[in-house]
Amino acid sequence: MEKYLLRNIENPNSADINEYVKAGGYKALAKAMDMKPADIIEQVKKSGLRGRGGAGFPTGMKWAFAAADPKMPKYLLCNADEGEPGTFKDRPLLEKNPHLLIEGMIISGHALRAKYGYIYLRGEYPQAKDILEAAIKQAYEKKFLGDNILGRGVKFDLCVHQGAGAYICGEETALIESLEGRRGQPRIKPPFPVNEGFLAKPTVVNNVETFSNVPYVLEIGPEEYSKIGSSDCPGPKLFSVSGHVKKPGVYELPMGTTLRDIIYTHCGGVTGDKKLKAVIPGGISTPVLPADKLDCPMDFVNMPKHGSMLGSGAVMVFDETVDLPKVCLRAIKFFEHESCGKCTPCREGIGWMRSILGRICGGTGNAGDIDLLLEVSKNVMGKTFCPLGDGAATVVQNFIKNFRNEFEAHINNKVRAER
Amino acid sequence: MITVTINGKQIKLEKPVSILEAAKMTGIKIPTLCHHKSLEAYGGCRLCLVEIEKMPRLQASCTQYVTDGMVVWTETGRVVEARKAMLEFLLINHALDCPYCDKAGECDLQDLVMKYGPAAGRFTEGKRKHPESYDDPIIVRNMERCISCTRCVRMCSKVQGASAISMVNRTSKTFVEPFSGGRYNCEYCGNCINVCPVGAIMSRLHKHTYRPWFIEKTVDTVCSFCGVGCSVTAQIRGNSIVRIIPESEKGLNRGLLCNRGRFGYDYISNSGRLKSPMIRKNGSLQETTWSEAFMYIAQKIKEIKEKNGGAAIAGVASGRCTNEDNYVFQKFMRLVVGSNNIDSIAGFAYAPARKFFEKIFGQGVTANPIQGISRSDGIFVIGGDPTAINPVLGLQIRAASQKDIPVATVGYAPGLKGFAANRLIPKPSTEAALLAALLTEMLKRKPLPAEKTPFEEIIGKIQPVSLNEAESACGIASGEISACVDSLSGMTNPALVIGRDIIQRSEGQANLLLLAALAQALNGRIYLSSELPNEQGLIDMGCLPDMLPGGRPVAVDSFRKRYGEFFNAEVPSAQGLSLMEMVEGAHSGNIKALYVMGENIAFNIPDNKFVKDALSRLELLVVQDIFTTETTRFAHVVLPAASWAEREGSYTNLEGRMQHLKKAIDSVAGLEDWKIIAEVSKVLGVDMNYRDSRDILAEIAKVSPLHKGVTYEDMDSGECMWPYKGEPLRHDLNIVGIDMPDMKALLKKPEKDKVYIGVDKVLFHSASLSRNSFALNSIYSEPHAKIGKNLAAKLSVASGDHISISTGAGAIELAAVIDSDMPDNIVLVPNNFEGRGAFRVMGWKMNAAFKAPALDGMEAVLKKLERVSAEVSE
Ligand SMILES: Cc1cc2nc3c(=O)[nH]c(=O)nc-3n(C[C@H](O)[C@H](O)[C@H](O)COP(=O)(O)O)c2cc1C
Ligand code: SF4
Ligand code: SF4
Ligand code: SF4
Ligand code: SF4
Ligand code: FES
Repeated sequence: MEKYLLRNIENPNSADINEYVKAGGYKALAKAMDMKPADIIEQVKKSGLRGRGGAGFPTGMKWAFAAADPKMPKYLLCNADEGEPGTFKDRPLLEKNPHLLIEGMIISGHALRAKYGYIYLRGEYPQAKDILEAAIKQAYEKKFLGDNILGRGVKFDLCVHQGAGAYICGEETALIESLEGRRGQPRIKPPFPVNEGFLAKPTVVNNVETFSNVPYVLEIGPEEYSKIGSSDCPGPKLFSVSGHVKKPGVYELPMGTTLRDIIYTHCGGVTGDKKLKAVIPGGISTPVLPADKLDCPMDFVNMPKHGSMLGSGAVMVFDETVDLPKVCLRAIKFFEHESCGKCTPCREGIGWMRSILGRICGGTGNAGDIDLLLEVSKNVMGKTFCPLGDGAATVVQNFIKNFRNEFEAHINNKVRAER
Repeated sequence: MITVTINGKQIKLEKPVSILEAAKMTGIKIPTLCHHKSLEAYGGCRLCLVEIEKMPRLQASCTQYVTDGMVVWTETGRVVEARKAMLEFLLINHALDCPYCDKAGECDLQDLVMKYGPAAGRFTEGKRKHPESYDDPIIVRNMERCISCTRCVRMCSKVQGASAISMVNRTSKTFVEPFSGGRYNCEYCGNCINVCPVGAIMSRLHKHTYRPWFIEKTVDTVCSFCGVGCSVTAQIRGNSIVRIIPESEKGLNRGLLCNRGRFGYDYISNSGRLKSPMIRKNGSLQETTWSEAFMYIAQKIKEIKEKNGGAAIAGVASGRCTNEDNYVFQKFMRLVVGSNNIDSIAGFAYAPARKFFEKIFGQGVTANPIQGISRSDGIFVIGGDPTAINPVLGLQIRAASQKDIPVATVGYAPGLKGFAANRLIPKPSTEAALLAALLTEMLKRKPLPAEKTPFEEIIGKIQPVSLNEAESACGIASGEISACVDSLSGMTNPALVIGRDIIQRSEGQANLLLLAALAQALNGRIYLSSELPNEQGLIDMGCLPDMLPGGRPVAVDSFRKRYGEFFNAEVPSAQGLSLMEMVEGAHSGNIKALYVMGENIAFNIPDNKFVKDALSRLELLVVQDIFTTETTRFAHVVLPAASWAEREGSYTNLEGRMQHLKKAIDSVAGLEDWKIIAEVSKVLGVDMNYRDSRDILAEIAKVSPLHKGVTYEDMDSGECMWPYKGEPLRHDLNIVGIDMPDMKALLKKPEKDKVYIGVDKVLFHSASLSRNSFALNSIYSEPHAKIGKNLAAKLSVASGDHISISTGAGAIELAAVIDSDMPDNIVLVPNNFEGRGAFRVMGWKMNAAFKAPALDGMEAVLKKLERVSAEVSE
């Protein structure tokens, strides 16, 4: 497949506006400026584009909700908080192809009649901040941003806001709280951001990759776009592959490429040609899959049928040598550290799970610990305020479901060692 | 119409509410922790999870709204399991030191775990450690007990509007911390303590002093500090109040209190309370018996009355005393002493303002419910900071602002900074120019009707003032003034909150006229700030030189006759003296005897030296009080009174609501003020024959046309609002005796480079009474002089440096506090601390219209003192 999102990134000056324009950039913007906002929304709807932030919500539908709310002004927020462990797919877009994101946001802003956009950038991406700000400056100079975009009288201002290093601020309502200057914690929904988001005004939050797809939709038209990859969630998709593969990295592939294809065709197979033991297909919050589930198409619709989720498309590959309970412990430590503290089960339950896992991995686990762990995860699951806590419970449950023997081995080894 | 079924019970609702609320309506209780009825929903504790048919996940009933056809179950196996799980989670990092924790016995977590929780937790690792913090004099923090419900934080930011505290950190390391770090340096309302469901933040003043089950009795009564009149519950053990908490269900304060109301009551148990009557013998006050004291006073009054007539005797009433006390006091003065010389501090600002507005709009025009402020569509504040004078009323303004209702403030009102969209700070004494410009502009936008009422005729004659004229007089850019007009003209029924600073002035009447005109133009409702709990009541009881009970003018023969006939006595017809005239009279020798009931006039009247001079010339000064004060030192007889907690009676608050003050504890030494007066009266041959305050109220209910038939039971209903069941005075539409303001004089600019001294109304104090409160002194122990940053720079003064402030009347030395927000040429000094009050150095001019002292901002000379002192902060 021809690359779109990552086209041109081999060019060392890909972040420069002139290079971007040379490669055909900002053409979609010119096209969009001649379109009625409602028509842009219609095209995005028709394209079948779904959000790339993890939940896969239909983008056109989200926009239509915000557009239908009469409150003004409307705000456009880009979720560039990319914090899900294993995920680094937005980073090349931010650092190598910032103008694609900016172009996508200007078009989206026009579609929504939003005059202000913010890029909420992960605090740990300082280079991206400089690159984005330089790119935004260039876009202002070229009149792609500002009060009179391309002389069409359309206004859109864009700036970068740097997060302070909390994973939860990737959750859209926590992101909004944080952007408003408060503690990053999710809000009660409803009201949804499309009706009462930033400063209580209709707000669209989309992922970096989502916005970056928008110019493409306009460039090739929704019909052509919808033919790429899976039929009910089409388009190009970035996969960030890490772990035991020969060629880890970010791959732009059609939606619906199978895990097997990603690992063996594109990434060259498992390092040292060892046996594959497990894959986490979509970022740490998605259920781990055993080696026999590699033939599922990676998209929002098919993954759940195979017991996992597409999530952010962050594929983590573990070979036969990996101690999976330790992976599980590491993941839970992450969730514990990142629990925003708002709700009881996540705030207290994850720490408890971590301490049980710690005992198990540390060789001091007890016979009943696995069941206790499952019990605690059950008490967390479905009771938290936002999906973060559920994510932690999912991790524990799926690791145990698929690899219980490894946990038991830890506990029993201790027994043997003591003997 | 929405139909919901909860646990098989169907209910129909007009509008969607949370499942929790709907359940409550059907009598089903769902356990909660983070939910609080006066706070917005949060959804954090997850204790209130319920099962909803067709929804796979359990839902938090406090955040989930009902929809039509919803079927909810609150006690299924799944729900019960989940609830138990949440409690087990909560105990993981909870200290579980119940035997030592003061909250035990009234702790929501303890109660819920007892009821729903697991018998034992399964968590075996160590708990988090977080040492108890004693950095603050009032609030102890024990974060090992905190369950992160954020009720305190939501209370502080959303209701109190102080935003002093926040949750910090994430995960189970989350805890609450004041922004200031250690000491809170906040408004100390204690409302956060009140909503904490566990013992994580508690009052240090009450630490280990009682346990909830030690409380033997609770008494629902009214706060003794300001004119709001918050409902409070006194919790009693033995003969002492162990704690004051707000009444959560009743009262206009709806569960809120300010620092004074919650903590300041401890003055009643101060060991300095007066314990015995005293008579001056050989130049010093010596203990005596009650009967000797009564005899002495009666004898003296008789002598003076015979020699100089009743008009040589005057009485000072008190806004801290009850309606019953004040009623008896004026009756004694009028019918026994034979003098209309009755007034109080209320005569300085509250009473003249009220009289003025009533003359224009009719009796009761200021009787507007405080709760209406947050429901109005705009608020205009002038003459003082309501968040300091009447804190719980101030919260209404903040609440309105948080709902995006426009608030405009005139003057330095620091407590509303950040809440007022239009904040106009005119130069000292130039408000009239500003008000006139606001009125002029308003009338351009909303012209007066062709057919005018008499008052509109008057408004039409007020000379217009242009924006530019106002700008050059008061120093506020004309653009800012017109932005304020923009905001005002969008209001259809705003609340106007008016404070003393604008009234107690030479141009006080002009200010009031302009405000009345503005109120008319805006269709506004007037609220008068009131610093004492019963200023309104003492006026209604007739403690004014020209008014009888029920607001009936003495000058009207029929009223006077009717009142006198009731007792077969005669009410003197001559109008009495105002308080300031009494002081002048004492000074000049026309007044020979002064009877003071519960007021510290030697301190609370400007130019203390002059007042003391006057007092020292009296032949008889009787003072009833609960403490030794600057005034008792000049007295011939001092009589210990019962404190607010030791008597029954009623207060009428600034909205005109009558509230029942109940006796909480027995008095150690003092007698009710009315009782003392009745005893003196008896010796003088008039037996008032009251057994208790009920008898007095019954008499009031008969003789005051306004209070017809009023009873304590009416007050206990919580809605004993003006005009009760009585007859308000008919309003005379022909308004006479209103002078047109002299605009030319009012547009005069204050002299540049001069510094004026003003009174700082401190949130933490209340006249001179609060200096006897350990709690309030722990919060604010030293008076400070507040100055702006430019003035500070000019004097090269930093916060904490000492300065001397001298005026024609004298000098005081204080530590300075710099508030960058203050206007340049003003220094504010509180009038609460002995020897260092603003009134020591502030003079006055007689305001002829009000017969009250006008405080026009006295010129002061400030000097930095070369004395190093500890850092002062506020
Ligand atoms: C705990 C949590 C973390 C999240 N982190 C991110 C993130 O880092 N980046 C992102 O784009 N979306 C993240 N999301 C998803 C966002 O809430 C939101 O769905 C997304 O930004 C919507 O954009 P999209 O429609 O373009 O996918 C996160 C969600 C949760 C619950
Ligand atoms: S599940 Fe609860 S504690 Fe965890 S991140 Fe979400 S809101 Fe915060
Ligand atoms: S005492 Fe009042 S102002 Fe202080 S932190 Fe508590 S709620 Fe806030
Ligand atoms: S201190 Fe009390 S009210 Fe505040 S969060 Fe902790 S438990 Fe809740
Ligand atoms: S606002 Fe007034 S009445 Fe209420 S608690 Fe404070 S001082 Fe008392
Ligand atoms: S009461 Fe509903 S979540 Fe706390």
